Amino acid sequence: MSTSTSRPFSTTPSLLARKLPTPSSSSAKPARRNRAAPKSENFNRIRTLRRNMFSPAPPPLRMARQRYLRHWTIHRAWMLFRRKQHEAIEKERSRMHAGMFNACEELRKTVGPGSRGEGYLYRVAMEKKGIYGLEGVPIEYARFQTDTPAKEAWNHDWKR
Amino acid sequence: MSRCQAVARPLARQLRQQCSIRPFTSGAARAAEVQQQQQTSSSSSQQPSPLDLDPNSVLPEFEAPLIKAGKMPVGSRRRRVALRTTASIPFEQLPYQAFQEARAILAADRQEKVAKIREQLDKIAALEAKDAAQVKGGEKMKETKLASLRRSVEELKILADINDPLVKKRFEDGLGDMNKPIYRHYAERKWRSYDYRLIAQRIKQFNIVPDVLPKLDPLADVQLFFRQQKIAPGAVVNSLVSENPPRLRVQVFDAGSRLVSLVVLDADVPDAENDAFSKRCHFLAANIPLSPNDTSLPLSRIKADDQLAVPWLPPTSQKGAPYHRLGIFLLQQKPGVELDVAALKQLYAARDGFSLKSFRDKFQLTPVGFNMFRSVWDENTAAVMARHGIPGADVEFRPARVHSLKPPVKPKGWEAKRQGPAYRHLWKYTKRIKGLSNARGWTKRR
Repeated sequence: MSTSTSRPFSTTPSLLARKLPTPSSSSAKPARRNRAAPKSENFNRIRTLRRNMFSPAPPPLRMARQRYLRHWTIHRAWMLFRRKQHEAIEKERSRMHAGMFNACEELRKTVGPGSRGEGYLYRVAMEKKGIYGLEGVPIEYARFQTDTPAKEAWNHDWKR
Repeated sequence: MSRCQAVARPLARQLRQQCSIRPFTSGAARAAEVQQQQQTSSSSSQQPSPLDLDPNSVLPEFEAPLIKAGKMPVGSRRRRVALRTTASIPFEQLPYQAFQEARAILAADRQEKVAKIREQLDKIAALEAKDAAQVKGGEKMKETKLASLRRSVEELKILADINDPLVKKRFEDGLGDMNKPIYRHYAERKWRSYDYRLIAQRIKQFNIVPDVLPKLDPLADVQLFFRQQKIAPGAVVNSLVSENPPRLRVQVFDAGSRLVSLVVLDADVPDAENDAFSKRCHFLAANIPLSPNDTSLPLSRIKADDQLAVPWLPPTSQKGAPYHRLGIFLLQQKPGVELDVAALKQLYAARDGFSLKSFRDKFQLTPVGFNMFRSVWDENTAAVMARHGIPGADVEFRPARVHSLKPPVKPKGWEAKRQGPAYRHLWKYTKRIKGLSNARGWTKRR
């Protein structure tokens, strides 16, 4: 092969006989590139953050008098609309919460069924088993929940 | 038909047909319209209308003479054609969809607010008609309830109008009617955003509190003008300028008319005998009617017998004395109470030693407005004093030298120890002591 142009004065037959890397070996590179850099699950979020954090703030709105007044009107209406929406959602949620509260209160006061005492239904309703998964037990149940820490935090003398 | 007309035609057509129902475009109507357009354009090509002489609305065919006359057409051709037809549309009818939707939302909100106001007013009327014995809590509770209802009505009145772009525009143009609560609200917000803070800062940094009054929180905007020129709060005013009484612009932010007293007080009159400063009253007037709508208050116009107690005395300073703080105080009188100006004249005819605090307490006044300026000795003061017969132009104050009570300290340090002839070989290093000497020799005077 006479493709070696970098060393024109070399007459060594072994050098001349040296093969340049063939195109077939270089074609493996794009395949590697595709395999590289596994994207994290947050890739898109991080890219957006990177873009927005280090870019300069957008320029202020420049508007003439009437245009600004129209913009202001629309802005005020939008804020009013949002506030009304929020208030409606808030009202609905507090209504639902109050309904649940009253139902629980009713359960707490009822006696029974059968020979069960007062508040049995309430206690059953407050059980959290199964809500974090089919067989899941909430972490709160690992220890009896108290308002204050124990007087004796750790019993050092305990022996099995 | 030119390109720009073709572009602006839909817009112009829509504007023209605003009230009529817009039909679906059909070929014939469209063709007729094109003809009409051509007619109008051909007729306008003969003689330029007054709109064509205005660079804001000139048509393309009349651009050339206008440019020759030195007036460059403004904006794009499309914009100019649009302006020819849309100039007469009132702001609130501008055909922008989002704007119109926003206006609809705001109008509905306003209706709600107005309904609420009506409801509150009905409540007030019902409560007023009710006997105090029937209200739980008696007379006192009735008054409290009425006050809170009235306050909520005032708030609602502002809230009903606060989203109106035209109200905002009118206020920004200075055309707002200060008898209406919304404009007073806007004005107060503007005042609080800067001018109030400036005044509060002057009160603090010039020690008006506690030198003159133990407490002072202004509620009204007071601006000061000498010779039609606005004086920034705390500025030093030339004594020739302040020889004539100033004009005040007073804006109160609560409804109704009230009577105020006006005091101009110099808080820094040097008292050489006692080595102290005293106060002097430069102007005193009472029973001045003030309402949100009339804001101008020229001191030179206050002349009536039942208003002016102590006439204007030009503020003057003496050579070498520190600046004089001239405070302008607006004190609101109790509603319906007029002060006896004859008594004021008797009390304060000798201007010296005026105490604003005792004046306030004696007549049950509340300070509502404040502004100030300063006065120093300048090239015109002597002439002003001579003209008004004020003594003291020939006095010059000099600061008394206060000597240190500490004993003199001997020079310390490596250099001071090696000043003597024993260290002659070190003199080139030891003759540069701060406060004693430098490279050229001794600097300390003995």
